[in-house]
Amino acid sequence: MAYLLRRLLHGALVLVGVSVLSFLFVQLAPGEFFSDMRLNPQVSPETIRHLRAQYGLDRALPIRYVRWARSVAKGDWGYSFAYGLPVSKLIWSRARNTLLLTITSALLAWLISIPLGIYAAERRDRWGDRVTVAGSSALLTVPDLLLALALLILAIRTNAFAAGGMTSPDFAELGTVAKIKDVAAHFTLPLAALVLGTLPIFFRHVRAGMIEALALPSIQSARAHGIPRSRILFRYALPAAANSLISLFGFSIATLLSASLLVEVVMSWPGLGPMLLEAILARDLYVVIGAVMLSTFFLVAGNLVADVLLYLSDPRIRRGPA
Amino acid sequence: MRRDIRLILVFLALVTGALWAQTKAAAAKEELQRTTGEVGQYGGRLVISQRAEAKTLNPVTAIDRPSREVMYRTQADLIHINRVTQRTEPALAKSWTASNDGLEYALRLRRGIRFSDGQPFNADDVVFSFQVYLDQNVHSPQRDLLIARDQKITVQKADPYTVVFKLARPDAAAERLFDSVVVLPKHLLEKAYHDGTLGQAWSLTTPPGQIAGLGPFRLKNYVPGEQITLERNPYYWKVDAKDNRLPYLNEITFLVVASEDAEAIRFQTGDTDVISRLNSENYALLAKDQQSRGYTLEDLGPGLEYNFILFNLNDDTRGRLPDIARKQAWFREVKFRQAVSAAIDRSDIVRLVYQGRGEPLWAQVTAGNKLWLNTKIPKPARSLNRARELLKSAGFTWNKDGKLGDHNGQLVEFSIVSSSSNSQRMQIANMVQQDLARLGIEVSVVPLEFRSFLERVTQTHEYEAAVMGLVNGDVDPNPEMNVWMSSGATHLWNLGEKKPATPWEEEIDKLMEQQIVTLNYPARKKLYDRVQEIVADELPIICVASPDILVGSKKNLGNFRPAILDPYTLHNVEELFWKPK
Repeated sequence: MAYLLRRLLHGALVLVGVSVLSFLFVQLAPGEFFSDMRLNPQVSPETIRHLRAQYGLDRALPIRYVRWARSVAKGDWGYSFAYGLPVSKLIWSRARNTLLLTITSALLAWLISIPLGIYAAERRDRWGDRVTVAGSSALLTVPDLLLALALLILAIRTNAFAAGGMTSPDFAELGTVAKIKDVAAHFTLPLAALVLGTLPIFFRHVRAGMIEALALPSIQSARAHGIPRSRILFRYALPAAANSLISLFGFSIATLLSASLLVEVVMSWPGLGPMLLEAILARDLYVVIGAVMLSTFFLVAGNLVADVLLYLSDPRIRRGPA
Repeated sequence: MRRDIRLILVFLALVTGALWAQTKAAAAKEELQRTTGEVGQYGGRLVISQRAEAKTLNPVTAIDRPSREVMYRTQADLIHINRVTQRTEPALAKSWTASNDGLEYALRLRRGIRFSDGQPFNADDVVFSFQVYLDQNVHSPQRDLLIARDQKITVQKADPYTVVFKLARPDAAAERLFDSVVVLPKHLLEKAYHDGTLGQAWSLTTPPGQIAGLGPFRLKNYVPGEQITLERNPYYWKVDAKDNRLPYLNEITFLVVASEDAEAIRFQTGDTDVISRLNSENYALLAKDQQSRGYTLEDLGPGLEYNFILFNLNDDTRGRLPDIARKQAWFREVKFRQAVSAAIDRSDIVRLVYQGRGEPLWAQVTAGNKLWLNTKIPKPARSLNRARELLKSAGFTWNKDGKLGDHNGQLVEFSIVSSSSNSQRMQIANMVQQDLARLGIEVSVVPLEFRSFLERVTQTHEYEAAVMGLVNGDVDPNPEMNVWMSSGATHLWNLGEKKPATPWEEEIDKLMEQQIVTLNYPARKKLYDRVQEIVADELPIICVASPDILVGSKKNLGNFRPAILDPYTLHNVEELFWKPK
C-alpha cells in the first residue's frame, strides 16, 4: 500500500512538473492566438486588445498559471480561445477516440507479438526465426508516417477502405450492424498503421526476453526432466520473461500515443492528434497544455499500472528497499 | 337554452372563420424571394470538406474561416452581395431607399417569414442585431466593419417591417456593409445579451433546438473533430421559378479533413461532393481522373488574393535594430524598389508556382475584380537592363565580382521571410532570390512558422523583406481602407505612422478618404484608379501574382455556380440539387 501511495505521489509530481514546463515552453513560441487577426484589415486593434484582456493574455505568466491552476481545480482546464469552451469539454470527446485507437492497437500488437516472439525464440536461428526477425527489422526501419501514407494510397487504389475519418456522413441513419461495419471500415487503416508500427518493437522484446528465459538453468533442468515443450514455454519461461515485458507495457503506452497522434493527423482520425496540431499552430495555449497534460497522464497511468503489475508478479520488488 | 347554443355555435363558426381567414392571409402575406436558377429536385445530401473544424455557430464571435463557412449557411443578411455578379441584391430586405445625401437608408423587410425554429421575423430582430453588433462591450468584429473610419450608425424601427439606418457621413459602399451582417433571433439571444454571456452562446455543444437563423439550413448534429451536419430549414424564404420552397438538399455535411492534400484525396475518392480551394498542383492531379471518377473541375480565373514583396519601411527600427535600419536606406529608395520590381519575372512565377493557373500583377487589384480594376496600369515585362539603370541612377555600383554595392561600398544583401506553411509563397520567395541574384543582390530566404512570421511583420518589425499575400473579402475598396491609409492597422510596410511618412502616402490617404464619401461610381472609380497607379509607381508593396480560384464538383450537381468571391462554391447552396444519374 505504501508502495502504491509512493508511486501515486510520484506520478502527481510529474504531472505538476510537466504543467509548469509546458506553460513555460508554450510561452516561448513566438506569436499568439490573436496574431492572425492583426492581418485582417477588418478587425481593429482595440478589438484585439479587448480579446487579449478577456482571456488574460495581458497578465504576467505566474498570474496566468495560478488562474489556470484554479480552473483545473474547477474541472475546466482553462478556456480555448478558438472554441470559447472549457478545454476539458473539448478534449474529452477527442481523447475517447484516441484511446479507442491506442488501446485496441496495443492489445492487438501484444496479442500478435507474444506468440510470435515465443515462436521465434523457440526456433532461434532457424528459418522461422530468421524470417520473422528480418520482417520485423524491415518494418522497424519504415517510419510511421510512410506506413500511414502507404496504407492511405492502398485505400485510394482499392476503394476497399475509407480514406480517412471515423464514420461516414450518413452514419446517424445506419442500423446497428451497418454502424459497426462503417466504423470498422474506417478503423482498419489507422489500426493497421499503428499495429504495424509498434509490432516489431514488442516482438523483438518478447523474443529477447524469451531467449534469455529459455537459457535459465531452471528451464534447462525442466527440459531435462522431460516436461512437455508447451508447458515449459507458457508455464515456466513466459513468467520468467514477464518482468521486462511488463515494464515495456508501461513504456509502450507512450510510444503508441505519440505514433497515434501522427497517424490520426494523416488519416483524419478525430482524436487528440489533429486537435493538438491545430492548437499548436493557432497558439491555442490551454488546449495545447491540456492535451499535453492528458498525454502525460496516460503515460504516468500506464507506468503506474505496470509498476503495480510488477509488484504483484515479482516478490523481489515487494521486499526491495525501494 | 337552445337559442343560446345556436348563438354559441354561430359565434364559434365566426371565430374559426375569422381565424382561418387570418392564417390564410398571413400565409399569403409571406413575402418570398423567387430565384432564377434551374428548377431542381428535392432530396439528398451534400458533403464538403473543411481543413479545420468549425469552432462556433455564434455569428457575433465567429471569425475563423471554417466557422463562418458553416455559420453563413444557417444565417441570412439584409442586403446580400451576389457572388457571381459582385453587386448587391435584396435579401431579408426586399427593397430599400437611400436619402439624397446618402445619410439615411430605409430598408423594407420581408413580411411573414420565419426563423428556422418557426418564430416570426420582424424589425425588432433587426434592431436587436445591430444593437448587439454596435455594442462596445460585445466587441464583435462586425462592429469594426460598421463603424470603420469614424462612422456612426443608428438603427430605428419605423414600423414592424421597416428599419431606418442613419449614418454620420455618407458611405459609398453602405449597401455592401449589410452583407454578412446576419440578423439574429431576438427571442433566442436577448437573454444571453443582457446577461453578458453572448460570447459563449451557440457553441457547438449547444443543443440544435436552441439555435436558429434565417439561412437555408439549420444545425442537425455535431460530432467533435469529425463532422457537422446541417438540415434543411423548412421555413426558408426563397422559392424557385415554380414556387417550390428552397433549399432542395435535405442535408449538408462538413467533414473535417486535416490537410489540403487529404481534401483532394477525399474528393477524388468521391467521399466529398464539392471542393472549394484547390491548389494548382492538386488541380493537375485531380484533372486526370475527371472522366472516370465523375467530377468536373473549374478554373474561375484570378480571385482577389494579391501576393507581394514587402520591404520593411517601419520607422521604429532606428537604434533598436541597427542592421535593419542600415538596410532601410536602400528600401526607402523608390528606384531600388522599382529595380527589384523590374527584375522579377512575374510570368515565370505564374508558370512555375501556379502552373499557369494565375495571373501576374503590378498593383493590388486583380483581373477578377471587374468593377475596380484599373486596366491602364502598365505591365512591363521583366527587364534586367532597366533594373540596372535604375540602380545606377540611384548611386548603386557593382564591384568586380558583379556584386551590387551602395554608395558606402556596402554589399547589398538582405533576407526575405515567408510563412513556411504556404509552399507557393515560399516558391515565390525562392524565385525572387534567383531573379535578384542576376542583379548582383544576394538574398537569403528564411521560412518561418506562420505565427512567428506574423509576429515579426506586425509586431517586432524584425525583418528586412517578406513575401506575403492579402485577400480582399469584397471587390469594393472600402474593406481595404486599413491597408492603404497611413494610419491603418494593416498598413504593413510602415505600421503606426502618426502622419503620412511620404507625399504619396499623403495622396493615397486623401484619395481613400475621398472615395469613401463619393457616391457616384465613375467618380469613385477614378479615385481608386489613382490609388492603384500610385501603388504601381511607388511600390510600397511589390505586387507579383494572383492565383486562380480552382474548384470542383460532382457532375450531377445542379445549379453549381462557383464564383471568385468567398465562399466560392456554397454561396447558392439553397439552389444546389442532385440531378438523377
